[in-house]
Amino acid sequence: MGFLEIRRLTKFFGGLTAVMELDMDVGQGRIVGLIGPNGAGKSTVLNMIGGTLMPSKGEVIFDGVEVTKLPSHRRAHLGIARVFQENLLFNGFTVLENVLVGFHLKSKKGLSSSLIKTRSTRAEEETLREKALETLAFVGLTEYSHELAINLPHGRQRLLSLAIALATQPKLILLDEPVTGMNAEEVENMLSMIRALRDEKGVTCIIIEHNLKAVMGLCERITVLNFGTKIAEGTPGEIVENPVVIEAYLGTEEDVT
Amino acid sequence: MSRKTINKIWGWAAIALAAIAAPLVLGSIYWTSVLTTIVINVLLAVSLRTIFLIGEFSLGHVGFMCLGAYASSLLSMKAGAPFGLSLFAGALMAGLVALGLGYPFMRVKGIYFVILTVMASESFRNLAMNWEDLTGGFGGLVGIPAPGMLNIPFLGEVDFGGFNEYYYLTLTVVAFSLFLIHRLERSRLGFTWLAIRETDKQAAAVGINVLRYKVINFSIACFFAGLGGALLAHSEQTISPQAGSAFGVMTTMYLLIYMVVGGKSRFTGPVCGAVVLSLVMEFTRPMQEYQPMIVGAIAIAVVLFFPEGLVSIPEKIGTWFSTASETTAEAPVKGSAHKG
Repeated sequence: MGFLEIRRLTKFFGGLTAVMELDMDVGQGRIVGLIGPNGAGKSTVLNMIGGTLMPSKGEVIFDGVEVTKLPSHRRAHLGIARVFQENLLFNGFTVLENVLVGFHLKSKKGLSSSLIKTRSTRAEEETLREKALETLAFVGLTEYSHELAINLPHGRQRLLSLAIALATQPKLILLDEPVTGMNAEEVENMLSMIRALRDEKGVTCIIIEHNLKAVMGLCERITVLNFGTKIAEGTPGEIVENPVVIEAYLGTEEDVT
Repeated sequence: MSRKTINKIWGWAAIALAAIAAPLVLGSIYWTSVLTTIVINVLLAVSLRTIFLIGEFSLGHVGFMCLGAYASSLLSMKAGAPFGLSLFAGALMAGLVALGLGYPFMRVKGIYFVILTVMASESFRNLAMNWEDLTGGFGGLVGIPAPGMLNIPFLGEVDFGGFNEYYYLTLTVVAFSLFLIHRLERSRLGFTWLAIRETDKQAAAVGINVLRYKVINFSIACFFAGLGGALLAHSEQTISPQAGSAFGVMTTMYLLIYMVVGGKSRFTGPVCGAVVLSLVMEFTRPMQEYQPMIVGAIAIAVVLFFPEGLVSIPEKIGTWFSTASETTAEAPVKGSAHKG
């Protein structure tokens, strides 16, 4: 049994079929790429794994638990984290506070502990702060911890999104275009961080990315989608050679003439 | 302690002192009852802002106030419950109804939520108007008992039947409520509310049960609205469900204006707005038909010149006199606070 199993996953938006009967298996500790032309249904698949969209049919089984119908926050409890395509940050909060929100699952939440600040609540707050600073150190944002999230440039906002996701201590992390809009140096930095996550903490990653060079260098297996269906699956080497994939990306000769 | 905290403590101490001295200085029954209304308005406006912490506006606050008022009055009139118990029960009633309604209501956002709240509050008022056996119907309730003799620690038996005594009682209850609300806002719970206001999608992605936190927020805010209503009922000793009464839709509008004019991004905003505008309302009472126009004009002027409300005026004046470098350093912070 796989770590993440996707069975006949289907999503209709009205009359439009966004994803059609997708089957996919992801082993624990793998870095898997999900690629395809625009509108292929990649983000829809990620949203259905993360719980922001409910599938029309099919099932998602994560770590032996069927999560198909669970809402987002329940999946976060089980260890699924997201880095959204857009920078969804807590804009009015400082960088450190953003990461502290990410530690929600690890904090005390009772009404009484909110009203009366006991020594243990204070101690807990202090531990969370330290952990949040560690997470910021990992993504290299320590020196910006007291800046407002909205004032960071795009590349650093992406890193902060990653830090928020990491704060939930995930087993699986879903990255939607993590390196889009970054310069070469920033891309390299992000990729080495994703590798470090897998190597040091055993975090499984599913990545959507249009930067094919990055995907090919990073992923062990790649799934290619086109018009909501899987057209190829394999190692990066197999994918670049695959005529069906080349056709999906570049079109056939008849299309050109 | 930093200088800022010390200043804050002095500020609150000055406000407390002014609130305690006011009825003695003004020395008339009329002004004492006005002060009581103002203090209740402060609680209502502050609790309305609590809902804004999750990014929603409620136009139904008055409905929960109405629930609290009727529940508390009926308990003390029909069941003879002691004042403290009926006051708490009134607030609890409003809070529990909000808890029940919160689950369906909080599934929608923005204008849809506003519509639901305004409909709910009008329904409560109409229920009070038509359930004649219980609520006395159109005529409302008359002869709601004053608190009477209460046993206060260190003070012994005190008669709260007098205007000044009732004012001090209200002031104590409201001050304690404000303390609790402030505490909640600054706790992990308040932090989570603000996170939901910033982006609920990301909040859910890190494991926050967004719906539950919103419902808790709505329920707490409505609990205090109910408390405000109950305090009002025992102060006026008569309540009426008519559209022009304190439970009419105009009150909800005024509460919203108190909050916005005072400044909704700060805890002190609605306190300031409620005090200033309640006084304006009192002074313009002889020109009753022009009241909405006068309050409206003030609201427009404040929104245009001080978009962050009356509480931002001291700071704004400060920045006019400070150097340019300081203002640029402050600018991004302000931008984000305003965005919320």
